[in-house]
Amino acid sequence: MTELNYIILLPIVAGIILFAFPRGTRILKGILALMTGLVALVFAVRLFGWENGIHTADLVPAGMAAGSLFNRMMQGISGFCTFNIDPLSRFITLCTTVFTVLITVYSLACMKGEREIRHFYPYVLLTLGLTTGAVLTDNLLFFITFWGILGITLYKLIPGHDEASSAAAKKTLIMIGASDGIMLLGIGIIWRIYGTLSMSALDIPTTYPVLVAAFLTLVTGSFTKAGAFPFHTWIPDYTQKAPAASSALLPASLDKLLGIYFLARLCVDMFILEGWLVFVLLLIGVMTIIFAVMMALIQHEYKKLLGYHAVSQVGYMVVGLALGTPLGIAGGLFHMINNAIYKSGLFLVAGNVEKATGKNDLDHLGGLSKAMPITFVAALIFALSISGVPPLNGFASKWLIYQGIIDFGTQPGAANQIWYIWLGLAVLGSALTLASFIKFVAGIFLGRKSKALEKVREVSPLMWGPGILLALVCLVFGIFAASWVVPRIIMPLYGSFGYTGIWQSTTVSMLILASIVLGVLIYWLAGVRRFRTDEIFIGGETTRDQTDFPVTGFYKTIQDFRFFSVIYKQAEKKWFDIYDVTAKIVFSLGNLLSKAHTGVLTAYAIWIFAGLVLFMLILFQFIIL
Amino acid sequence: MESFIPLFVILPLAAAFLIPIVGKFVSGFQMTLSNLVFLFLAAAGVWFLFDSNTEAVSYTVGGWEPVNGIPIAIYLVADGLSLIMLAIINTMAFLSGFYAISYLKQYTAPDNFYALLCLMVAGMNGVVLTGDLFNLYVFLEIAVIASYALVAFGTGKEELEASFKYQVLGGIASLLILFGVAMVYWKTRTLNIADAATLLKHSHDRTFHLFVQLLFITGFGLKGALIPFHAWLPDAHSSAPSPISAMLSGVLIKAIGIYCMIRIFFNMFILTEEFAVILTTLGALSMVLGALIAMVQNDMKRMFAYSSISQVGYIITGIGMGMIILARKGDQGIAALAIGGGLFHMINHAVFKGLLFLNAGAVEYENRTRNLDELGDLSTVMPVTYGTSLTASLSVSGIPPFNGFFSKLIIIIAAIQGHFYLLAALAVVVSIITLGYFLKFQKQAFFNVSRFFNKLKIKEVPFTMCFSMIVLAILCLVLSLLVFPGPRDLILTPAVEAVMNVKEYSTIITGI
Repeated sequence: MTELNYIILLPIVAGIILFAFPRGTRILKGILALMTGLVALVFAVRLFGWENGIHTADLVPAGMAAGSLFNRMMQGISGFCTFNIDPLSRFITLCTTVFTVLITVYSLACMKGEREIRHFYPYVLLTLGLTTGAVLTDNLLFFITFWGILGITLYKLIPGHDEASSAAAKKTLIMIGASDGIMLLGIGIIWRIYGTLSMSALDIPTTYPVLVAAFLTLVTGSFTKAGAFPFHTWIPDYTQKAPAASSALLPASLDKLLGIYFLARLCVDMFILEGWLVFVLLLIGVMTIIFAVMMALIQHEYKKLLGYHAVSQVGYMVVGLALGTPLGIAGGLFHMINNAIYKSGLFLVAGNVEKATGKNDLDHLGGLSKAMPITFVAALIFALSISGVPPLNGFASKWLIYQGIIDFGTQPGAANQIWYIWLGLAVLGSALTLASFIKFVAGIFLGRKSKALEKVREVSPLMWGPGILLALVCLVFGIFAASWVVPRIIMPLYGSFGYTGIWQSTTVSMLILASIVLGVLIYWLAGVRRFRTDEIFIGGETTRDQTDFPVTGFYKTIQDFRFFSVIYKQAEKKWFDIYDVTAKIVFSLGNLLSKAHTGVLTAYAIWIFAGLVLFMLILFQFIIL
Repeated sequence: MESFIPLFVILPLAAAFLIPIVGKFVSGFQMTLSNLVFLFLAAAGVWFLFDSNTEAVSYTVGGWEPVNGIPIAIYLVADGLSLIMLAIINTMAFLSGFYAISYLKQYTAPDNFYALLCLMVAGMNGVVLTGDLFNLYVFLEIAVIASYALVAFGTGKEELEASFKYQVLGGIASLLILFGVAMVYWKTRTLNIADAATLLKHSHDRTFHLFVQLLFITGFGLKGALIPFHAWLPDAHSSAPSPISAMLSGVLIKAIGIYCMIRIFFNMFILTEEFAVILTTLGALSMVLGALIAMVQNDMKRMFAYSSISQVGYIITGIGMGMIILARKGDQGIAALAIGGGLFHMINHAVFKGLLFLNAGAVEYENRTRNLDELGDLSTVMPVTYGTSLTASLSVSGIPPFNGFFSKLIIIIAAIQGHFYLLAALAVVVSIITLGYFLKFQKQAFFNVSRFFNKLKIKEVPFTMCFSMIVLAILCLVLSLLVFPGPRDLILTPAVEAVMNVKEYSTIITGI
């Protein structure tokens, strides 16, 4: 038994043990889960002391009688247990553990009093162990086994006691399970052709159709998990209905880490991409960015809005990884980690707001900045970061990706020639993200506070603590991006590279800080502060909710715009949702077939003899020929 | 062990006749006796399965030795395949019988129920043990006639109608099988499978071969509910009392449909490519159409019944691919993989589909309805039923770490290895559809909002029902281990060898 087993098995075993705890021991379970997470964190850190390379886990316990059934079984399992320790898997393991620990802390306070998700902590621990296993393993079959079980934990982390949330849970598991099955096809093809299941041993050219098929099936899995177009549709539904802690844990951080990790393995390690595949991936990337952000613009429920952003940001990572240059890959991976930080932060903020107000609609919120100052500051940092405002980390990684695209354009190739389209759309997506986050921040924290929200207070430190911590990380990763984070953390993953543009993040941060200080000075000294606040005057009428103008109203213009309005209407009817379209097809086929089952006995008997005669005709042809 | 073999038939048969007589005077006799018999046989079956020292053995009824190499006695043969079937049949029989102790409180006449159940088990054990065509037919009839009566056990309008249809269509199947048996006897002058196999090898009457095989494929296809011979199944399996549905869907269609097909096509006839292709096509067709129809069902037991058609399709597809590869003289390893996948899925299907029908019975027991639109939010009030049904649903949909995932994995890998790309893709698509309708079942029954007024009255089902469901749910998890080398070599490999190694089977019986 090596330490590698512990890092995967410890959370899983602890999770299974926690299942046995009775109801009403939620705090105890939470603390035990937290402790397990911290131990796993220690293991994850110790992983950095390991040598790079393939490690085999020996599962056979010492002192077992050789040749016994159990022994042979464990030996058989050990044959599949090969683990690939390299900078990437180490790094992802560490991030996974950190996020799990933070969200466990958060959920200690957040889950209180709500209609509890049964076994929240056991499933969180299972998720941790399984994600670690999926990241570390080198064997493709083991990988999809872990991947599939993660679908179950996702399914169980949403309460499902009303129509919409049970439908969301169902949709999530169907899509993840489908991706698991589709990946199996690709793995089968790889096994048949290369005779190996070891990811590190593969270096597959994508010149033959069957190999391209293998690549596409595996990429489908990665896209479903991470949430890229067109397999992203479960994410907005899930985040809308799941508790904030679940959303922050899975769709926002761990699923992104795992999905993009696998995409990186696919694009960089396992396959050699042809030019046209790069083109397809880039196209999917920018489509994800634009479509998801356009949907985010018109949302009224802030958790669903965040869900669409969780999709949109994946587009940048796909673009970065599809470029295939060291700069692009580094940008994609850096964006993956940044996105995990601010997106889970945003979900935590959303959870705070929901906990404090009990509302999940932007139309009924507003003016909470004074009541919830800490949450507001955190939300502002996250929002600026996701929108790519310097000097925050979101900008740093987007900058890398933009540079990667420009650099990519210098090489020959069809996809390279139109680099300006990719760049333009990526930048446009960033601008639209900013637009929709103004809605998010202003809708919740700014504007006039309605009467119903008078009693809202800041949430407990256990809930804002993780958020502030993540916001600090956002700042640090942004300010020290060029000088420390990228060279020390990102470059070891897939090799070093040179910048094509100049970006001194620390210097720029100093300048921005100076300008903020200057602004504050002017605010205090030049007397801008002396302004008058007054009630809204609407011709003597008393103000009511109806006369108020919510922030979301500003975004109606987009929805009513002639060209977009058609598309939005179709999107609301779910015509662009691969899940609903497939379901419609399956149901119509099923209905057609079940009409044939009339229940008339003679008809059934006729089927039998028709079948018999048909076979006879087919078979006796062989004889005549 | 040899002397144990006839007990698999004798004990349940004796119990079946004792129960109506003694049961009149001793209350509770029927449950005690039949469950003890099933428990003993299940333990024996599992013990033989794990007893790695035993080779395939045969028992000669009456001790008649072969004369001039011609077997004249009736043989009971237990090879790897039969042992697996025995273990499944008797384990499921015990769990269903135990479950029925509480479940039967809503019916009268438990004596008849247990007597018929014992008769059915005796018939199935006989079918999988016998080495003789005519005995096969007789045992098969014992099993199905008992099942006709059990389907009608509720004696409601629907039950009687379903039973009638089942009898008529089942009668057609029996007739075709009997016709086939008669044809073989006419040609070879023997009813012993092994003996007939050697004689048929020397016969070159191609028309005869095709015609007899056609009769068998239709007859056993009807019993195994392959599309287009499936029409009786949804009615019969959904109308029967739930423990019987579990037996019918989990065991009966395998014992008298799939098992017989494997035995006869692999061990008696020479494999021909055209039949292998036909069988695989039927399997694939059942797999796809069954799943599509199951998707639109609102009655949960009908949904599971259509799902059985679809899952049987998987089993037949796996085995059919193996047949095609063997008939083409392809790679033996891949054929073994495909057949092993099919057999593995057969074991798994017995467990999870049995469990699902027991779950449906538990839900119906408390809610008095099978309609998914009238259920909802049972996960809090019926936690055991919920947990076990989730296990079974995920298992049948091929979600790891449950057993269904691994058997589908083997079938899909084997399909790709054998260049059946279309079948592999279909298997994946059907697996996704399966996930779709089983999650629909989960959502409508256990989540969502409660649509039932007296929700407070609904509670968890009694102990014996819970016990059977929990045991099966644990099996769903434990059977995954069969995919790993140690247990696989012990259980699956002998069965695959028994199927593929035609000579061995006749050697056991004729000694040649």
